[in-house]
Amino acid sequence: MSTSTPPQKTLSRIAANRLQKELSEWQINPPAGFKHRVTDNLQRWIIEVNGAPGTLYSCEQYQLQVDFPENYPMEAPQVIFIQQPPCHPHIYSNGHICLDILYDSWSPAMTVSSICISILSMLSSATQKARPPDNDRYVRNCRNGRSPKETRWWFHDDKV
Amino acid sequence: MNSEGGGASEEDRPRDDEILAFHHAIRAADAEKLEFVGDKEPLTVLAAEYEAGNPVFKAKVENLGQSYFAIRRARGDGNCFFRSFMFSYLEHILETKNEAEVRRVEKNIEQSKRALIELGYQEFTFEDFLSIFVEQLESALPGRETSVDIDQLVQRCRDRYISDYVVMFFRFVTSAEIRKRAEFFEPFIIGISNMSVQQFCKASVEPMGEESDHVHITALSDALGVPIRVVYLDRSVGADGKNTDVNHHDFIPSECSGVDIPPVVLLYRPGHYDILYTRKDEGRQNE
Repeated sequence: MSTSTPPQKTLSRIAANRLQKELSEWQINPPAGFKHRVTDNLQRWIIEVNGAPGTLYSCEQYQLQVDFPENYPMEAPQVIFIQQPPCHPHIYSNGHICLDILYDSWSPAMTVSSICISILSMLSSATQKARPPDNDRYVRNCRNGRSPKETRWWFHDDKV
Repeated sequence: MNSEGGGASEEDRPRDDEILAFHHAIRAADAEKLEFVGDKEPLTVLAAEYEAGNPVFKAKVENLGQSYFAIRRARGDGNCFFRSFMFSYLEHILETKNEAEVRRVEKNIEQSKRALIELGYQEFTFEDFLSIFVEQLESALPGRETSVDIDQLVQRCRDRYISDYVVMFFRFVTSAEIRKRAEFFEPFIIGISNMSVQQFCKASVEPMGEESDHVHITALSDALGVPIRVVYLDRSVGADGKNTDVNHHDFIPSECSGVDIPPVVLLYRPGHYDILYTRKDEGRQNE
């Protein structure tokens, strides 16, 4: 067995199969408010998010980037907002999202679709547009391109 | 919500990625010490562990030796109940060569599958996990191209991919059983967690590494129709303060009757499960 580690490991056969199935299901039945931008890259999905009507983010559009690890779905995908992340108390200005299911509470029973629904629900329940109180410090600590999966998250508040 | 706990200033505390790397290093070191499932060891290793320890434990370990003769440890990664169940049950199939039992459990698996679909789980989310468990069941029976012996069974249960997929399948089955019979499980769940049935399943059953207690054990045993004995090794000493008999509880699914000793026997020490071997099986298992 080789000991060298490639920078990004390609998907295992079972992960690739699983993602194909998720993609087919998504094409038939996408979660409301989301659009998958078609590319030939199964390991990185770019998803358009439309803020739900009647919420603070109504008529706004954002982009999620979802990167799948080689042993998906045993391990969670990395999910971040790219370009202009929505201004939200759980979303850092570098696009990192503080949401337990993306880290400690991830389960292989979840799907990209269920993640999207959770993120939209998190956006929809916001009562004010604000950055997390520790935004600047956190973003500074991430300046070396660190993955949010390397953060020790504290989930104190599940109301927003 | 916050990305870190506060308190120490950012200069004197290690960065999150450093802390995580440290945690990973500890886990990796732990993994090297112990496989997902260990080797079968005589129960005397347990006695040695408590030699200088608590006298109640020591007396209980001695009493344990009357009914049980060997132990196989499971790694303490939060999945030890499911991992121990996997090995113990597959080893039981391997030894009894009981094809009727495999067909029976496969029927229960079908029921779990239907329950999952009725609860709104899409089939593609659990089918890979299901088929890997069924493969292991079939391979435990003799006379097939894929049949395994005990050493190969050990290797498979130590293989991260197979082992974790089977553990995750049991988590699906457990979650489906709890949600299907939410009214039955609700009082127990409220008693230990303050969560709704659905929250409990999402937070304490479905994620890997979440520890199990009697709710998980009851649900898995009922869903698969497999009786499970849990032997409790703790410091309790009975009402008179002297009793060092070792207590056990048998989880017997309603579909089973007249069970003598359950095929799966686990040793529980606070926070951890391992596999136990009963004296009754001593002859057969020493081949």
